[in-house]
Amino acid sequence: MPATTYSDEVVACPPRAGTLYDVLELILDRGMVIDVFVRVSLVGIEILKIDARIVVASVDTYLRFAEACNRLDLERDSGSTTIPELLGGGVAKSVGKRKVRRAAENVGDTVRKAVGGGDKDDSSEPSEASEDEETQQDRPRKRRAPARSGTSRRRRPVEA
Amino acid sequence: MTAEGVYVYAIVRAEKALPAHATGVGSPAAPVRSMRQGRVAAVVSEAPPTLRARRRDLLAHQELLLRLSERGPVLPMRFGMVVTDEKAVRTQLAAHEAVHVAALEHLSGGVEVNVKALPAQDALVSLVAEDGNIRRLRDAVRRRPGYEASIRLGEAVAAALESRAVEAGQRILRELAPRARAVARGPEVQGCVLNTSFLVSRDDSDAFRAAAERLARANRDRVELRLAGPLPCYSFVSADGTPPRTAGV
Repeated sequence: MPATTYSDEVVACPPRAGTLYDVLELILDRGMVIDVFVRVSLVGIEILKIDARIVVASVDTYLRFAEACNRLDLERDSGSTTIPELLGGGVAKSVGKRKVRRAAENVGDTVRKAVGGGDKDDSSEPSEASEDEETQQDRPRKRRAPARSGTSRRRRPVEA
Repeated sequence: MTAEGVYVYAIVRAEKALPAHATGVGSPAAPVRSMRQGRVAAVVSEAPPTLRARRRDLLAHQELLLRLSERGPVLPMRFGMVVTDEKAVRTQLAAHEAVHVAALEHLSGGVEVNVKALPAQDALVSLVAEDGNIRRLRDAVRRRPGYEASIRLGEAVAAALESRAVEAGQRILRELAPRARAVARGPEVQGCVLNTSFLVSRDDSDAFRAAAERLARANRDRVELRLAGPLPCYSFVSADGTPPRTAGV
């Protein structure tokens, strides 16, 4: 969604809605429900909530890391070793991840806003379809995994 | 596709114009239209044949509500509300018109800001410095390393991080509450110790966020705060559309 969808009164750094992940439970658990309105596959949605959380979480995490990497690139000198490793090695791995994650935290809401706003390329049809299928197959296992993990793991269910 | 029914995004005031080129769920994204009924209108599109809680569709729902809420009060529907046909929508709107009008009035000029509190990521140093019990357990592990002792230490650390986050988070929420028109507790979210939404006047929302960020910085060794908003007022319409449930912090 282009940034132009937002009204002009909000300037340079508009307060944004956070990433989808941060508001998922509001979209799925709050808001109006009216009796004659039949919620789509009522049971399905309840189950999917959890799956959606996993899929959305991973995409949001990647976006955050990507943004954090960009930030680091700007703010640090090019000699930093972790960034190329990260970009080359995939975000789901190893040492550098924590650093980047921490960077993402520190950059904080700005990043979240930016990431939350730039959702253009994250829903390409083929990959999303395969994600969906995968989620479906793995559902029983995946659903349980995050529930058992520690409290601080919230944003990394992919690894859990 | 009409056989799939009508997807309802929100209820708004009848006079409200839709944003230009508004689109909704589905692929390709369905064009959105407004169905007026008396003083209110439902914002709807055709429901896609296979609607699921996909990222793309969740975003479409959220984006449309965000755009709508920049143009006046909105009663946001929960994701996935599909009605059999337009007639059912009209019947619903007509039957509850007064309630909807009152709820829209209540939310007028307001936005939702959501605050989540998580245990701080980098709190270990200050925890060990401040917590005598943790220090004792750590010393025990150092004297006699072993599985049991490590588990005891780790368990104590996890519990202490969480309770520090709850304590600091609640203090922050109490400080923020007077700045809000209403407060609503959010659903439990894995990993969060607190999840609370505030109904804030749109004009105050920047100041509210700034205050929250200031409190977050002051407590960063105890709690990590995550702010989202301004959002559509999901938490300030009750499920049946009557004006909101609110809760103390």
